[in-house]
Amino acid sequence: MNWLTGALAVLEKDVRLELRTRYAINTLLLFVISALLVVAIAVRNEPLSPSLRSVLLWIVILFSAIAGLSHAFVSEEERGTVLLLQLNAKPSSVLAGKLLFNLMLTFALNTVAALAFWVVIGFQEVDSATLIVILALGAIGLSGATTLLSAIIAKAVNRGPLFAVLSFPILVPLLLSVVNGTRSAIEGAGLDTVTSEVFTLIGYAGVLITASTLLFDYIWKD
Amino acid sequence: MKTRTEALLKSLIVLWVTAVIFAGFLLDIPRISILEHTARNLYFHVPLWFALMAAFFVSAWHSARFLSTEDLDYDVRASHAAMVGMAFGILGLVTGMVWARFTWYVGTNKWWNNDPKQVMAAVQLMIYGAYFVLRSSFDHSEKRARVSAVYNLFAAATVPFLLYVLPRQFQSLHPGAEGNPAFDEITHPIMRLVFYPAIMGFIALFWWIYSQRVRLTLLERRLEHE
Repeated sequence: MNWLTGALAVLEKDVRLELRTRYAINTLLLFVISALLVVAIAVRNEPLSPSLRSVLLWIVILFSAIAGLSHAFVSEEERGTVLLLQLNAKPSSVLAGKLLFNLMLTFALNTVAALAFWVVIGFQEVDSATLIVILALGAIGLSGATTLLSAIIAKAVNRGPLFAVLSFPILVPLLLSVVNGTRSAIEGAGLDTVTSEVFTLIGYAGVLITASTLLFDYIWKD
Repeated sequence: MKTRTEALLKSLIVLWVTAVIFAGFLLDIPRISILEHTARNLYFHVPLWFALMAAFFVSAWHSARFLSTEDLDYDVRASHAAMVGMAFGILGLVTGMVWARFTWYVGTNKWWNNDPKQVMAAVQLMIYGAYFVLRSSFDHSEKRARVSAVYNLFAAATVPFLLYVLPRQFQSLHPGAEGNPAFDEITHPIMRLVFYPAIMGFIALFWWIYSQRVRLTLLERRLEHE
C-alpha cells in the first residue's frame, strides 16, 4: 500500500481500537478533571492573576499528557502487534498514523481542559481567537514531541516513570511559549501580540515532527 | 600507552589552566560599577558554559555517527561526552548562581535567578539526566546505544530553541538580552587577555578528561572481548 493509505490505515486501526475500549481518552479526561478539581479546591474563590491561571491550566494539561500519551507505541508492545505493523506498513506510515492519532487526542485534551477550566475556575476577559490558536498549536507540539518518545520507551524495561523523565526537558520550549501565549490571551490581548510565541510554536512542532520522521527508522527496526 | 607527546600535552593543559586561574585572580581588571571584582567570574563561568556546548556537540556528533555505523565505540564516546559535559555544566550553573548572588542579591536569600539562560542551561542538564536514566533502563547494549542515540539527537533538535529563541523573548541579566548592552560593549579589551585563553583552557580540559575516560572504557571493553 502506498504511504498515505498506510498512514490512514494505522490511524483507522487506532481509532477503532480506541472506540472499543476508550482507554486513552478516559485516562486523559480523568486526569484533567481530577487535577482541575484539586486546583479548584485549593484556590476556592481567591483571585488569581492571569499568569497563575495560565500556568495552572498548562500544568493540568501537561500532567494529563504525560499520564496518557505514552500509549501510542507502548500499547503495540503490550499487545504484541509490533511485528504485524512492521510487516504491513512502511515505518513512515506508522509514524504518521500514530502522530495523527495523538493529534486527535491532544486536540480533545486541550479542548476539554480549557472548557473545564473555564467552568471551574474561569478566565476573565479572554480573547478567544488567541486562546484557540495557542491551544491548537500547543496540541500539535505535544503530539509531535510525545509520539517519538513513546516509541523510544516502548522497548524499555521499566517504562512507568521513564516517559515523564524523558518528555519534560523536551517539552520545556513548548510550555514556555504556550504559557506566555495563554497568559496574553487571558489578559485579553489580540493575536498580533503573540506573534513571537506563535512562530516559536510552529517552528517547534515543525522541528520535532521532522526530527521524529528522520529518527524513527532507527528505533523501529530492531 | 602513554607516549611522550601525550605526557607533554597533559602537562601543557594543566599548566595552562593553572595559569588562567592565577591570572584570573591576580591580574588587574577595570572596575565596573556594581560588578567590581565579581567580574573575574567571567573567566570561569563563560568558559565552563562553552565547555558544556562543546560537550553537547561532541555527544550529538558521536550519537549520529553511531546511528550511521552501528559501531559501539561511538556510543561510548557519546555517553562519556555527556557525562563530562554534565559535570562542567553543573559547575557553570553554580558559578553563575554565585555570581548573581554576590553581585545583585547580597543580603537576600535569593540564589536562583530565574534568568532564562540559567533555566535553559538547567534544562540542558535535565536532558542529559534523562539520557542517563534512559540508558539505565536497557540491558542489551546494542538496543541501549541505539535508543539513547535517538533520544540524544531528538533532544538536540530542541536545543536551538532553548538557547537562542526563548531567551530573547524574556528579560535577563545576561548581556545581549532585553535592555542589556551586548557582550562586546561591556568587556574591556584587557580582560580578553585572560578570557580567550580561559575558553581554550577549559575546552582543552574537557577534551582531556573525556578522551581519558573514553580510552579507559574502550580498553576495558577490549579486555572483556578477549
